[in-house]
Amino acid sequence: MINKQNITNVLKVIDPRDSHVSYIATTSNNERVIVPEKTDNTDYQEILEWVAEGNTITDNGGGE
Amino acid sequence: MALSTIPFSGLGADASNQGVNFRNLIINGDMSIAQRGTSSSSITSGGYYTVDRMEHAINYGTWTLSQSTDVPTGQGFAKSAKWDCTATGTPTAGQELKFRQKIEGQFLQYLKKGTSNAESMTLSFWVKSTKTGTYIVEMRDDDNNRNICQSYTISASNTWEKKTLTFDGDTTGAYNNDNGQSLQCTWWLGAGTNFTSGTLATSWESTTNANRAVGQVNLADSTSNEWYITGVQLEVGTSASDFEFLPYDVNLRRCQRYYYIINPNNTYYPTVYDFYAYNDSNCYAGFVFPTPMRTAPSVSMTNNATFLYYSAQTKTIDTSMLYSWQSDGVINYIRFYDGNAFSGQANKSGIFEGGVFKCNAEL
Repeated sequence: MINKQNITNVLKVIDPRDSHVSYIATTSNNERVIVPEKTDNTDYQEILEWVAEGNTITDNGGGE
Repeated sequence: MALSTIPFSGLGADASNQGVNFRNLIINGDMSIAQRGTSSSSITSGGYYTVDRMEHAINYGTWTLSQSTDVPTGQGFAKSAKWDCTATGTPTAGQELKFRQKIEGQFLQYLKKGTSNAESMTLSFWVKSTKTGTYIVEMRDDDNNRNICQSYTISASNTWEKKTLTFDGDTTGAYNNDNGQSLQCTWWLGAGTNFTSGTLATSWESTTNANRAVGQVNLADSTSNEWYITGVQLEVGTSASDFEFLPYDVNLRRCQRYYYIINPNNTYYPTVYDFYAYNDSNCYAGFVFPTPMRTAPSVSMTNNATFLYYSAQTKTIDTSMLYSWQSDGVINYIRFYDGNAFSGQANKSGIFEGGVFKCNAEL
């Protein structure tokens, strides 16, 4: 479980097979957490709050 | 035994028979399941650390949090949850220490909250602490921003005591009938003046922070302080029944709705029903969860795995290759990405060895 204080960056990724969107959240202890774009997922809620505080999700068009 | 000879009461259809009828709204109330581990030290911030479903809200003091074998004698419990203060703290106005469980609204509908037939709830639990004095338990309705509190007293140091608290039904504000967080059952363990300066809310009210933890002692005021709890049961009505013990496997499955580790000991093949290389850069693993998770979970990978192609080749799946995740809470596909790692292997399937995946759908 991540919290917004521990997020260092977030990358938006798009599955090449069906364009499904996920986010890779990297935390301050270097954990990589794959987070679905689901509003009832509490990790996704933390990402949204992290963005609301002025941070930016890296979006390079879904490519790696 | 023929099915016809099983006493009807033994199937738990009668709520008064004290059998297993899932009357306990608290999951893992006997603190027996601890998928994340049995001890975590130097804790200074909140989260889920040890026993399943129990969240620690921490923003002062330093703590060792553990699943303990210290339990009340002769009550049938084998485990408890323990807080051990390892560095003291005095709360600033807005700081707090809380131990809580969040409950989905769809599990609470029979409480009939928000109607004239709203049911009372009774909370019972065993508690032990070296810190005597007044403690607060709060029921908080997150859907309608309402709460009710009761105090209890730990009168004898380092002695197990059973506490029973009844909370009136609330005729205002129904719980949402969904998989979201509707009720928090919280044991306060420390609170700043923002939460203690009013009058304790012993009746349901619109939440006023000052009324939430009035009289609460500070568990962080000495490194000698410890606090244990087990046998937690929250049930409809005005009296407490005996604790409802569930078989280990049933209790584990209930916890796995919120948190599940695939291959927790990294010792066997994860339950993969499909694994294949899609193109030069991506491969996919399909998993089925043993019970529907609350929502599509987040996932992290903590140990490398190996993809064994049926063509007798192998490829190490490094944790950095975990790239995306698609789930409906039951059937799940994990995608691994690494440049040209799967060059020439497109459409080859195989088996998947090792790897530990932690899936989180907590409230």
